[in-house]
Amino acid sequence: MKTQQPKNTSRRDFLSVGLVLAGASLAPWSLRAAPAGQPFRLGALNSITGVGGPYGVPMLEAIRLAVDEVNAAGGAAGRQLQLFAEDDQTKPDAAVLAAKKLIEVNQVQAVVGIWPSSVGLAVMPITNNAGLIMMNTCGAPEMLTENRKGLAWMFQASNAVFGRAFAEVARQRGFKRPAVMAFNNSTFVGLANYFKETWEKDGGKVSSMVIYEPNQTTYRTELNRVLATNPDVIAMGSYRPDATILLREWYQTGQDCKFIMPGWTANEALVKALGKEVTEGIISISNVAASGNPAYKSFSERFRAKVKHEPDVFAAQSYDMVIALALAIEAAGPTADIAAINGQVKAVTRHGGEKISSFAQGRDLIRAGKAVDYDGASSNLEFGAHGETVPDFGVSEIENGKLVLKETVPGTR
Amino acid sequence: MELIPILNAVINGTVLGTLLSLPILAITMVFGISRFPNAATGDYMTLGAYTAVATQAWIGSSLVLAVVSASVVTALIAVFFYLWVFRALAKRSNVARLIASLGVAFVVRTTITFFAGQDQYNLEMGRIMRAWNWHGIRILPMDVYILLTAIGALGIAFVILHATPLGRRMRAVADNPDLAAASGIRSRRVMLYLWLLSGFFCGLGGVLLAIKAVVVPELGFELLMPMFAAVILGGIGNPIGAVVGSLIFGISQEIATLYVGPSYKIVIAFLVLLVLLLFRPQGLFGRPIMAR
Repeated sequence: MKTQQPKNTSRRDFLSVGLVLAGASLAPWSLRAAPAGQPFRLGALNSITGVGGPYGVPMLEAIRLAVDEVNAAGGAAGRQLQLFAEDDQTKPDAAVLAAKKLIEVNQVQAVVGIWPSSVGLAVMPITNNAGLIMMNTCGAPEMLTENRKGLAWMFQASNAVFGRAFAEVARQRGFKRPAVMAFNNSTFVGLANYFKETWEKDGGKVSSMVIYEPNQTTYRTELNRVLATNPDVIAMGSYRPDATILLREWYQTGQDCKFIMPGWTANEALVKALGKEVTEGIISISNVAASGNPAYKSFSERFRAKVKHEPDVFAAQSYDMVIALALAIEAAGPTADIAAINGQVKAVTRHGGEKISSFAQGRDLIRAGKAVDYDGASSNLEFGAHGETVPDFGVSEIENGKLVLKETVPGTR
Repeated sequence: MELIPILNAVINGTVLGTLLSLPILAITMVFGISRFPNAATGDYMTLGAYTAVATQAWIGSSLVLAVVSASVVTALIAVFFYLWVFRALAKRSNVARLIASLGVAFVVRTTITFFAGQDQYNLEMGRIMRAWNWHGIRILPMDVYILLTAIGALGIAFVILHATPLGRRMRAVADNPDLAAASGIRSRRVMLYLWLLSGFFCGLGGVLLAIKAVVVPELGFELLMPMFAAVILGGIGNPIGAVVGSLIFGISQEIATLYVGPSYKIVIAFLVLLVLLLFRPQGLFGRPIMAR
């Protein structure tokens, strides 16, 4: 009994502290909204380590560039942006901890830079509960249906759109008997289903569709099943490890066939894993930055000076997140709460306003009382009903180990 | 379904089953002698695969050298963990050792990811070879080498177990450790050889798997459940049972892929296990009271 006593009090302490914390996190943000002139606390949740590491590090750099641009221009509505960065390790569980730290300890008012859908789907309930703006590059179609409060903004096309783009590219290239192979998760099964739906809508027929299990050491039997139907092209929704096994085993069969794959899998890292011969002629489809926009030119120049290589589409998207957010803060005014700022995100990017390509340009027009339309570095940023954008698609082919851009298909909106 | 796809599936299942029978043999030997299911087996395989990658990166691109160094390094690490962890727990219950082996598994995997990261690696194999195509039946040259290596290693294992004094001592300790000790068999030395052999087979299995697949941190751990199932199927503690169990498991999975969706192939393999165990609860080669 004696040892029981202190345990009980510490448990009580723990409970009361926990309840206070829980209560604090439930309190609506308006209660804690900063008065005028106070800095705007911005959280960056990037995949610095883990599978997303190659993308997350440049994304954070892009966010820093944008924050510097806004602060150098005197801040948004007079408020400096104060950046707090966390690593989500490309894992939803680590991301939840990091997001809670950003919200409870750093008291951020918006979270930007989320890369994988798994993290996006795990973090969205938390940011929604706290009433925070959340900007991401996630592609799972569930992101749109889960975005119930309208606080999430998707800067990358959803996989439904990807599936349709795959089908359209296959048709343009004159393929007749496509087969579909997809990794068994919501993202790629979604992509496969939308591919099939789009292809069959116009009377085409998919020769076979195989959803395969993750983490297998061989996919030969799955592949043989698909190849037995003699497809002329396989639309393949895969990550790099399974794509490496599948493509190697396909090449070993000696059967002739083309592949259409997402750009985050079919890239130079895949060539490195498999060699030039196997990857020759793979069609790689990805969202591409709006390289014709003035915003891209100015951003990529600063990015190159800092990081010494061309920014990818995710870095451009991250840059746009901060600029769009800053413009929304400017438009909402110095004392606005988060809901009011969120309400302005669409307004400052909507088609019809005066075209702008930088924060300072937009700020001056907003102060003059004009409507603005920020055309970003990643896309023209026209948000749909669920907070989604459709950036342009780039269709590339792997030629002699290099990714060569063949054409750009404009986003459908 | 025609015959040719089935034959291709059988060939594929045979290669995979023979390859996996190496770590499965390691599991069953450790279980027979040290009496616990070693959950670190999968991660020892991963270690072998990464050792091969490291060998190619730092020493030389020869695949044979990579295979040898993977097996040897993994064998030494397995002995190290025996001396550090499992020896101290020798008198504890087998549950304690099972939990400890899970700990070892995590230590191995996180140490690998700490240095190598999460991204995939590939073994360098020169040019990728096309399969020999014989009326639609496809046989890969690399698969033949893998199969021969695995069969060779299995042959050595059975010679050691059944034709050497060491094997006799191992079987004696497995049978009755106290009686073995009373007969003057030093169980410490038997244990050292056991872990050396077990680590060697795990490392070899891991690197052969890496040749077929890609090297990722979860390479071996993902296979742990099917491997345990194959051990149970063959009869726990029985080396021949391990090989046969592994082959049945591999082939039934591949044939199942032809008939049901690939998502359900593992289900069919477990269904085969279930039905066989209904008729032989002790496994194919197991005895009701384990006496090996």
